[in-house]
Amino acid sequence: FCGDKDAEGRSWCPDCVTAEPVVRRELHNMPDESVFIYCLVGDRAYWKDPNNEFRKNLKLTGVPTLLKYGTPQKLVEEECFKAELVRMLFTED
Amino acid sequence: GKNEYDLLIIGGGSGGLACAKEAAKFGRKVAVLDYVEPSPQGTKWGLGGTCVNVGCIPKKLMHQAALLGSAIKDAQHYGWNIAQPVHHTWSVMAQAVQNYVKSLNWGHRVQLQDKKVKYFNMKGSFSDPHTIRGLTKAGKETIVTAENIVIATGGRPKYPMHIAGALEYGITSDDLFWLKESPGKTLTPFVFNVSLECAGFLTGIGLETTVMMRSIPLRGFDQQMASLVTEHMESYGTKFLKRCFPTKVEKTESNRLQVTWKNTDLRTEITDSFDTVMWAVGRAPDTETLNLETVGVKTNSETGKIIVDASEATSVPHIYAVGDITEGRPELTPTAIAAGKLLAQRLFGQSSELMDYDNVPTTVFTPLEYGCVGLSEEAAVQCYGSDNIEVYHAYYKPLEFTVAERDAAQCYMKMVCLRERDQRILGLHFIGPNAGEVIQGFALGIKCGATYPQLMKTIGIHPTCAEEITKLHITKGSGLDATVTGC
Repeated sequence: FCGDKDAEGRSWCPDCVTAEPVVRRELHNMPDESVFIYCLVGDRAYWKDPNNEFRKNLKLTGVPTLLKYGTPQKLVEEECFKAELVRMLFTED
Repeated sequence: GKNEYDLLIIGGGSGGLACAKEAAKFGRKVAVLDYVEPSPQGTKWGLGGTCVNVGCIPKKLMHQAALLGSAIKDAQHYGWNIAQPVHHTWSVMAQAVQNYVKSLNWGHRVQLQDKKVKYFNMKGSFSDPHTIRGLTKAGKETIVTAENIVIATGGRPKYPMHIAGALEYGITSDDLFWLKESPGKTLTPFVFNVSLECAGFLTGIGLETTVMMRSIPLRGFDQQMASLVTEHMESYGTKFLKRCFPTKVEKTESNRLQVTWKNTDLRTEITDSFDTVMWAVGRAPDTETLNLETVGVKTNSETGKIIVDASEATSVPHIYAVGDITEGRPELTPTAIAAGKLLAQRLFGQSSELMDYDNVPTTVFTPLEYGCVGLSEEAAVQCYGSDNIEVYHAYYKPLEFTVAERDAAQCYMKMVCLRERDQRILGLHFIGPNAGEVIQGFALGIKCGATYPQLMKTIGIHPTCAEEITKLHITKGSGLDATVTGC
């Protein structure tokens, strides 16, 4: 999950900008049948709204978030900068 | 050659993880081996040990579920319109609890990775004093060497192997918290805190629950308090079969469990059927597959636990042990964590501070909770003699019970003090709501050597149950009525 990107493709969320290349580099470690969903959470104002759908329905607390859907396994904010943690999320049971 | 790791810890539970994370702070190369042998019923879980997966955490959450059930009943008296009777769905609670536990497993994985602690999901055993052989579930072997090794494998519930059908048909606390379906009508034979606590919340969520005990409940705890706890559970709806012990467990045609037991008083044999039988006959240290004999780590011949000195060192240099696996230590999470941390600080942080096992507070989370710190009345009498101690006590009624018309017959507290000189407080015992929260603060006072006169100078917070502790003044010796009157 990342903040929306502007016309130049840069997100308003600086942490998302840092995390994206780290996550992309580890994508090849995902199990074969898995599906990777890249989701934009809207502009800064929408994200800051405490009632936005991502906070309400998916219980997201920060961006970037890397979430293994259907499990409690996730990485939030600075955790997404760390390649080993991202790799662990992709490869762990 | 040189050892791969500065510290290798076998067991990723409360003690093991605390030790690992602390050692990593000193920039040391640390590794943790964690492996969960599935229970006889096939239950297994992730990183974090007993407390996180099949102990304190799921137990307290389910205890809370039961308390909420009572709160719903009380709510009507306070004006809430709730259609009675209210029902409980096990699977909703179980899934929520299990999801939370899994998030803790993940949290520990992230923390270890973050602190650069190497994690092996393997079963470890000693090859020599500095070498551990790790085996994965699939049978793959890895050899790891370390300068220092800490054994923190904890314990697992025992099965009463002499009872026919016990292993095939019974479960233990290892399985209870991971059941997807309700356990239904449950019998828990023998009585350690775990079975009382589980029987308590099972009753609270509306299941027919029976506790069977051969002799005394809560061995090791103050017995007066223990009987008040069981008395309350009886009035709360848990059935007690006293002075009974089971002889066999069989499966019936309708797939239920038929249990036969003997009553030692009446010398009769009785049978009844249940959906679940949960054994709570104690815990055995997890040392069997460690290969301790090969390296010479000494264990207590009776309990099987590892013998350690005040610095958690075993009989073999560079091999240590912390937590439930160690002989003579309380089987509690906070002491394992503290011991693990201090051990890491002594090994790598130039500290010489030893773990203090005195005056460790604890709480039994039965429907009416029992919290205590310090000596039981029996232990104080044995240590100092009944002439040298004074016991102050009181029966009280929590304010919240009044409007809810709840019976407070077992809401009781007592304080054991030395008679002479400064009248130091030796032990404090409290039965009532939120007993753990009540006792925690007083544990600090007792650690600092608080005395009865100091307690009397402490003003209570009103209106609370805890304030009654600051007002204790009726002694057992006086024989006066110890019921607290209103303000």
